[in-house]
Amino acid sequence: MTDPRAVVEELAGDDRVQLIGVRHHSPVLAVAVPALLDAFAPETVLVELPAEMQPWVRWLADPGTTAPVALAADAHVFYPFADFSPELAALRWAQRNGVPVICCDLPLTDPDWESGREDPSGPSLGAVVRTALTGRDDDDLWDRLIEAGAPGSTPEGVRRAALAAGWALRHNTAVGPLDLRREAWMRGHITRTPGRVAVVVGAFHAPALLSGPLPEEASSPGPAPVISLVPYTFGLLDARSGYPAGIRDPRWQQAVHDCGADPARIRSAVGAFAVEVTRELRAQGHPAGPAEAAEVTRLAADLAGMRTLPAPGRGELVEALQTVLAQGSPAGVGRGVAQAMETVLIGRQRGRLPAGAPVTGLRPAVERELARLKLPGPGRPAERIRLDPLRSPTDRVRDLTIRRLTACGIPYATPGTAGPAVGGESLTSTWRVEWTPGIDAALALVGLHGVTLAHAAEGMLTTRRHRETRAGGPTPEQSLTGLEAAASCAATTLTHARLTDLRRSVCHTGTVTQLVTALHLLTRLGKGHFPSLAPAALGTAVAEARADLHAAAVAAVAGTAGSTRVEDARALYDLVRAADEAGLLLRLSHTIRALTRDGSPLIRGAAAAVGVLTGYEEPSAFGHRLASWVTLPGTAATDRLRGALSVAGALLQSGDEILTPLLTTIDNLPDDDFVRRLPALRGGFDALTPADRDRLLTTVTARHGPLDEHLPTDAATLATWLSADRAGLAALTALALPPTSESPHPAPAELSFSAPSSSALPSTITAEQRWRLLLGRESDQLPARQRRLATALDELYGAGHGEGAWTAGGGGGQEAAYPQVRDWLDELQALFGADVRDEVLARAAEHGRLDAVLAADPERVRPSIDLLHAVLSLAGGLPEARLARLRPLVARLTAELTAQLARRIRPALTGLGTSRPTLRPTGRLDLAATVRRNLHTVRADAAGRPQLVPERPVFRTPGRRSVDWQVILLVDVSGSMEQSTIWAALTASIVAGVPALRTHFVTFSTEVIDLTDRVTDPLSLLLEIRVGGGTHIAAALRYARQIALVPSRTLVITISDFEEGFPLGGLLTATRALTDDGITLLGCASLDDRGAPRYSTGTAAQLAAAGMPVAALSPTELARWIGDQIR
Amino acid sequence: MTAVRQIDPPEHLHAGELTFLAAADDGRRPPGWHLTPRAVVTFVCGSGGLPVPGPGGSRVIDAKFVGERALVERCVVTLAGERGLLLVGEPGTAKSMLSELLAAAICGTSALAVQGTAGTSEDQLRYGWNYALLLAKGPSAESLVPSPILTAMTTGAVARVEEITRCLPEVQDALVSIMSERRITVPELAGQDGAVGYAVPGFCLIATANLRDRGVSEMSAALKRRFNFEVVPPIADFDAEVALVTRQATAAVERGGATFAVDEDVLAILVTAFRDLRTGRSAEGWEVERPSSVMSTAEAVAVAASIGLAAAYLPGPDPLSLLPGQLLGVARKDDPADAARLLAYWDGALRRRAEAGSRSWRQLWEHRDVLRD
Repeated sequence: MTDPRAVVEELAGDDRVQLIGVRHHSPVLAVAVPALLDAFAPETVLVELPAEMQPWVRWLADPGTTAPVALAADAHVFYPFADFSPELAALRWAQRNGVPVICCDLPLTDPDWESGREDPSGPSLGAVVRTALTGRDDDDLWDRLIEAGAPGSTPEGVRRAALAAGWALRHNTAVGPLDLRREAWMRGHITRTPGRVAVVVGAFHAPALLSGPLPEEASSPGPAPVISLVPYTFGLLDARSGYPAGIRDPRWQQAVHDCGADPARIRSAVGAFAVEVTRELRAQGHPAGPAEAAEVTRLAADLAGMRTLPAPGRGELVEALQTVLAQGSPAGVGRGVAQAMETVLIGRQRGRLPAGAPVTGLRPAVERELARLKLPGPGRPAERIRLDPLRSPTDRVRDLTIRRLTACGIPYATPGTAGPAVGGESLTSTWRVEWTPGIDAALALVGLHGVTLAHAAEGMLTTRRHRETRAGGPTPEQSLTGLEAAASCAATTLTHARLTDLRRSVCHTGTVTQLVTALHLLTRLGKGHFPSLAPAALGTAVAEARADLHAAAVAAVAGTAGSTRVEDARALYDLVRAADEAGLLLRLSHTIRALTRDGSPLIRGAAAAVGVLTGYEEPSAFGHRLASWVTLPGTAATDRLRGALSVAGALLQSGDEILTPLLTTIDNLPDDDFVRRLPALRGGFDALTPADRDRLLTTVTARHGPLDEHLPTDAATLATWLSADRAGLAALTALALPPTSESPHPAPAELSFSAPSSSALPSTITAEQRWRLLLGRESDQLPARQRRLATALDELYGAGHGEGAWTAGGGGGQEAAYPQVRDWLDELQALFGADVRDEVLARAAEHGRLDAVLAADPERVRPSIDLLHAVLSLAGGLPEARLARLRPLVARLTAELTAQLARRIRPALTGLGTSRPTLRPTGRLDLAATVRRNLHTVRADAAGRPQLVPERPVFRTPGRRSVDWQVILLVDVSGSMEQSTIWAALTASIVAGVPALRTHFVTFSTEVIDLTDRVTDPLSLLLEIRVGGGTHIAAALRYARQIALVPSRTLVITISDFEEGFPLGGLLTATRALTDDGITLLGCASLDDRGAPRYSTGTAAQLAAAGMPVAALSPTELARWIGDQIR
Repeated sequence: MTAVRQIDPPEHLHAGELTFLAAADDGRRPPGWHLTPRAVVTFVCGSGGLPVPGPGGSRVIDAKFVGERALVERCVVTLAGERGLLLVGEPGTAKSMLSELLAAAICGTSALAVQGTAGTSEDQLRYGWNYALLLAKGPSAESLVPSPILTAMTTGAVARVEEITRCLPEVQDALVSIMSERRITVPELAGQDGAVGYAVPGFCLIATANLRDRGVSEMSAALKRRFNFEVVPPIADFDAEVALVTRQATAAVERGGATFAVDEDVLAILVTAFRDLRTGRSAEGWEVERPSSVMSTAEAVAVAASIGLAAAYLPGPDPLSLLPGQLLGVARKDDPADAARLLAYWDGALRRRAEAGSRSWRQLWEHRDVLRD
């Protein structure tokens, strides 16, 4: 093995050539370089810059140039310079001393650049060697060895250490062909240049420069690149900004440079940084002061001492800041610390070019690009263009350019009317393009982000992503938009990053809709519908993201359990099918079984049907289940049928197994039962399209044989037969004689007594008629009385939507509609009874039939939460005049329901305010009681004094804390008026009646409204609530934090579906802030009697981890929970 | 001759190393410390296989805590500054062990500890009384029962408070004055000797807290400000974790008198599954849904030990077939939804590995019926 010392001696000891191995950003070397050059006094300075950059050297080193600035050649080669760049220090020295500078790197025109483009700076130091030196993950060998170890050393010592590090690095690595060629080229320059030379070059390359083969000439130079010198910022220079060739925490590096790498001054700089970070934290509202700053400084210095470093490095500072300030909570104070550190350590410094420097950068590049593509440039009139990017290569480039300009926020193109369609996908795009004066200004701003359009667009999008991340995001919505933008700008790296975001945000917190959108977007990506981005460029990332989304879809399925929306039932099917294709069977079957067991009626129905469609359940089992629903009470039957049929309407025509049990059950229902259930069942079959209904009717008819509309004899005779027959049967029944199994008279077809059951009265409504009634089809062929039934229901349900809806008008339209709503209600009551009428009324309210609700007599309506829900949903959009008419109804419903609920809740809240004694030894000795209790043990001691021997000490219980609790209810009103909202209002009004509690009622969407002053009156509370808007739970939590008086005696209850529309980070921080204060939190995914919530499971899980448990509760359970917390 | 103990305290177990290190490094040590800070780090993290030269010949120090060295360095520097150290982390990340090791190395005893519970009272943190003596003789230094913390203060030792967040907040706050004023006043003894217990140099406090049960949320801001926080992460290195699980499970089974005969493969699979579920990301980088239950190394050791015991006492089928049921048992503890998350793991990462053709994963995939309900 070679002795490193000897190698370094050889490298550093050359008389003619002074090798200075550097890292592109290195404060200690930047400080050392002028001293080294002064000492060596070279006649020429060689720097590792491509030959094309030679003309720019004088502008770089110009005293009027303020760093940071960047030299760029097209988009590929990018050299940011700051004061702490050793190269810049060398250039400035040369300018000051009038020494010529040569850019000695391989010209960019050389074709070899193409081969190894990925990493122009050589392999990263840290990726190669990890030593036993302690340090943080983001510190590499160079940071440990040179940056942290060098302060206080002589410049020559630093140079030798850097050369040694470069050698060590190179020693273990295979060097790529591009690097070999560049080194050969540089060797050529060193050999050719006469006299003493100083070479400022990457430490990795330095060991190869003294000896080795000289270069052969370039075979065929490529096109000359356009070089630009642009101002830069510290924000972009930071390695985390996503820009190449950056460094962590530029402001820290600048500070080390400004200190001249003097250990004592660095130590005081650490103190200054610590103070700044604590000030920043204080500004954010976290407690942090001089004591903490002192401890940070002490800890950083002692750590450096323990690690035998001359002064604390960046690593020690970061460690000390986190240890002292972050308090072990990454979501709470930790986030604040990270933000403060970013603000303080990255800094905001901006570069400036000297007066007279040539204008370069983005604007000329864009003009050239537009001219090349024959798109209108400056001074040309506006044009309308139609592009077909998937067919024509030119159009593809044009489309890409336009989209990139749009991504940069440059107002060049406006999409035409037939342009990118909102929902669907169009393959061509139309645009109106024009160069307006505003574009010049916009380009000047964007120019900071890159010197070519591609570079700038990617930079803008990256910056946007960075901003979203800093704000705690990106939210699912942002990552979807971001992915689409990145893909249409063909920014491959960014698309990858966005795919990662998508997996993180949508998979964890996305709603069902967002999951479906994301899957759709991925399909487009995978199929190459983004013209400029080949699917192959993304590799397996799309497939992996898709797999994650599928898994998330399965996880989200459970969250739909409480839904009452048909759309969710359909989405359930979509999700299940997608997940099924992906093969996620175990959990899916588990979830589907759970849904059929625990879901809301609608979802149970849908899940059962989905089970059949995906093969988890036997069709026959499903048939029996379907049939059993018919006999369930009212809405339970309706919703199950609606759920099942909206997913799988076609199933009914598919097989006997499914249909037969249903047919039998319907046929066997006695007439009055059938009529009573008719409205509910009709509501269920409403989910079928008219065409499906027709097909079903055909199937039914086919099974019952042809329908004979002709009576065997005239109607009067038949009626006589029938009444005689019935009288006979009635007589037999009265005498308890069973009728013989065979009817004496063969029954006429229309009146066939198909029911075998002896208890049932023979039916007068045939199977066909029943199905016509159930399906709402062919009602003109029904007898008069049944036509009344059909008409009464048609009034509510109409003829259905979807396929075949146009046939509806012709078939059943002859009847006159009810002239008055009141007539209809009366008819309903006459036909079906009062109970059913109320049910229909509630459904009418759901369908938006305000007139029906207004016509209802408040005194006759049976109060139910469903009806109140339906009525209140209507009330949202009403003007005050009409609302006044609704008020009596709402008032009665509210009063009745509140009274009912109060009876159930009160027991859970009684007895608050009395403390319970505890007998455990608490450490507070009750002296008097102890003496009393132990008096019998008094003995006289030797001196004759009485002495007490306490066998049983008595303690005082600690003071109870049961007085004056604050209960803050935060109610999400963003979506629609939910039943949970109503329950919350009712519960709040009851809880407000408990003297020991102060109850706040706060509604939130994107804005927060405190309705506490009305909390005792549920009626005005309910009528005050205005629904709509986005969801911003974090804002509501922050408001709760403001109104909480004594944190340890405050309960905050959030009632929401947890589909947060703002960054999740903010929500988690707000939650943490509350828990950190000591406030007790509870999330209610639903507050109703069903206990089946519909909510975003991902967000809920993260909230639970942050200290807000989420559960579905009934109002009674909630009251009990409040009681438990307080006692 | 001491009786055999189930668990030997570190100062006893590693007595030889401690004496050796105390003699080996004669650098400057903070007042009251038995070892130099650097020697403490070496004691806890080991010497990396290199012999440490000392008076009686050189000696290799074993690693006792598996984890980042920088973390231990920060802990030691914090204590050297006489500031409170709060170790937080998921359950089962060896926080308590680390605090014991530090205490043993710094002051030679890890016994001055208070276990925090909801029933911990203020006198366990400050001082209590021998009540009989108190009533008989009145307040005197004799009837005072010092808490471990008061003892540590007066002797300049390291006091430990385990699970500090489980104490009621008002009890925790008793520590605020101790840590800022560094003395405990006993008003009952006013005018007598020992009315004020002063902290002598060397006194410092290590507390541990569990992020899962209550977090540090119930600690008052005043108390938090008096601690430096160190988050102890789960073991990052896969091989180290497998080795740790093997070692500890073997020890547990052998204590029971049986031999540990579980395949390395099974243990590797077990640890992989635990790590995947703990981090929410599989070794291959696939997303995994995290159960809310704790999936710590300690739990992995318990599962490995029970598989080992089952294999020893009830030899039967493949030990791999026991794994799904055991995992279900761990995951189901807190939240019934965790069972579904475990199913998702089987559906996702595990199935893909089985499809990729790994034999043992395929076997595990075939045992999936255990999980069905």
